[in-house]
Amino acid sequence: MASEPPRAASASSVIWSQIGLGLALLAVWEALGRGGGGTWISRPSLVVAKLISWGGGDLWRHLGVTLAELMIGLVPGVALGVLAGLVLGRAPVVAGILRPIVVALYSVPLISLAPLFIMFFGIGMLPKIVLVAIVVFFLLFFNTFAGVERVDADLISTVRIMGANAEEQFRKVVLPAALVWIIGGFRIAIPYALIATITGELLSAQSGLGHLLNRAAEQFDTTSLYAVLLILMLLGLFLTEAAGWLERHLLRWRHRAG
Amino acid sequence: MAGAASAALATQGGLKMKIEFLGAAKRFSARGNEIEALTPTDLSIAREEFVALVGPSGCGKSTMLNLAAGLLEPSAGTVLYDGVPVHGPNRRVGYMTQKDTLLPWRSAADNIRIALELRCRATPRAEAAERVAQMIDLVGLTGFESHFPAELSGGMRKRVAMARSLIYEPETLLLDEPFGALDAQLKLLLLDELQQLTRNRRMTVLFVTHDLGEAITLADRIVVFSARPGRVRGVHSVALPRPRDVFRIRFSEAFGRMHEALWDELKDDIVKGTDV
Repeated sequence: MASEPPRAASASSVIWSQIGLGLALLAVWEALGRGGGGTWISRPSLVVAKLISWGGGDLWRHLGVTLAELMIGLVPGVALGVLAGLVLGRAPVVAGILRPIVVALYSVPLISLAPLFIMFFGIGMLPKIVLVAIVVFFLLFFNTFAGVERVDADLISTVRIMGANAEEQFRKVVLPAALVWIIGGFRIAIPYALIATITGELLSAQSGLGHLLNRAAEQFDTTSLYAVLLILMLLGLFLTEAAGWLERHLLRWRHRAG
Repeated sequence: MAGAASAALATQGGLKMKIEFLGAAKRFSARGNEIEALTPTDLSIAREEFVALVGPSGCGKSTMLNLAAGLLEPSAGTVLYDGVPVHGPNRRVGYMTQKDTLLPWRSAADNIRIALELRCRATPRAEAAERVAQMIDLVGLTGFESHFPAELSGGMRKRVAMARSLIYEPETLLLDEPFGALDAQLKLLLLDELQQLTRNRRMTVLFVTHDLGEAITLADRIVVFSARPGRVRGVHSVALPRPRDVFRIRFSEAFGRMHEALWDELKDDIVKGTDV
């Protein structure tokens, strides 16, 4: 039935190979940078030095702004998306009526709403927050809706016969069954939220990592550009890992299946 | 046609009858086609009676269970439970289907407990825990309380489903090929447990199966259905003494005769029904 577990010995050798590969790539980058391409690709050593020199506070401030925009947008986006998905998932008639409007709205690449929001809300944090919230809302809405629609009707019948009222059917069956989809939507939403934040900042901002990117590019400062990209990569990794941890925690029953 | 035979079996006194189908019929419309799942059917099940419904696939057996459970409303006729028409979910029945419909995010013990968490059956926490422990013991799941359904074997999942249906002590059990997908040995073992549990608790049982052996082994009466559209073809009493030895009764002469008689009645329809 179950496939053979991978040999334990290979796990650590894979990790060492990966570390070796990473160091080799860094060495190649460093060599190419020193060999004359430095203007375009900078060098890892310079990037690290730049990060250390920024460490004093400026970088933290910009990182903090980006994170704040992302998190503040995430909260209402997730909450309203899940709520709308749950409500419309249980009200197929209303969902059918609203469907064309929702589909039309979602067909607009949501990122392209950024200029509109900047017009509405200025160049502070608000337009980025709204952009994140909208992007996240739709992803969570669609996933939650699909999850509620696909709840196994036999599971609901089972508790109905036991005497569960509508609220109990929802709380004990529909919600936990939809949770798989909600968490899935959340995991997808995280990278999109980061994209939305940075895009908003790239368009116009006075702080945030996107603003740092713009500033570096205007000054033709490739070292700073790579430094910010490195931070963004780490940020993306961290957020994705955090979402994965949340999933494993909330959906233990799926991960313990044999 | 079936009317003459089954009308005699239908309501007479009414009082002792647990479930009565009075001209109950069900039509579905699917893609513009009217499908007659069950032609008007009369059938009465007495209190504490064990009735098996056999027949080819799509003959309306499961529809009858859904009508008795109140999950479907008849499109004609009535279904009475204790003399009262069934409208909406019938909370006095337990229902087990071939699919075990356990909640995958709940452990075995939590699945078994779910009925006791509902407002209409509100049970103090300590009492619920005690009853769950008793059921787990009764169906032989000790040691697997905290396993999730995906971590259990097919037979164990059936035991969880059985315990979950029995914990709220329904007076009637509706079973729709509950052990259909299990291997023969395990099936016999569970049939034996089912016989003991339902007899000890003096339950009324309506048992859908297409396994004639299963029906003869357990039932007081066997109702034979014909193929689509479903109608009652005949009703047979099983005159085997109780308690029955689930493992050996198959080799008795009476069992063999009964099996043959039923098979003769069914075979044309089975052949017709199989390749549908």
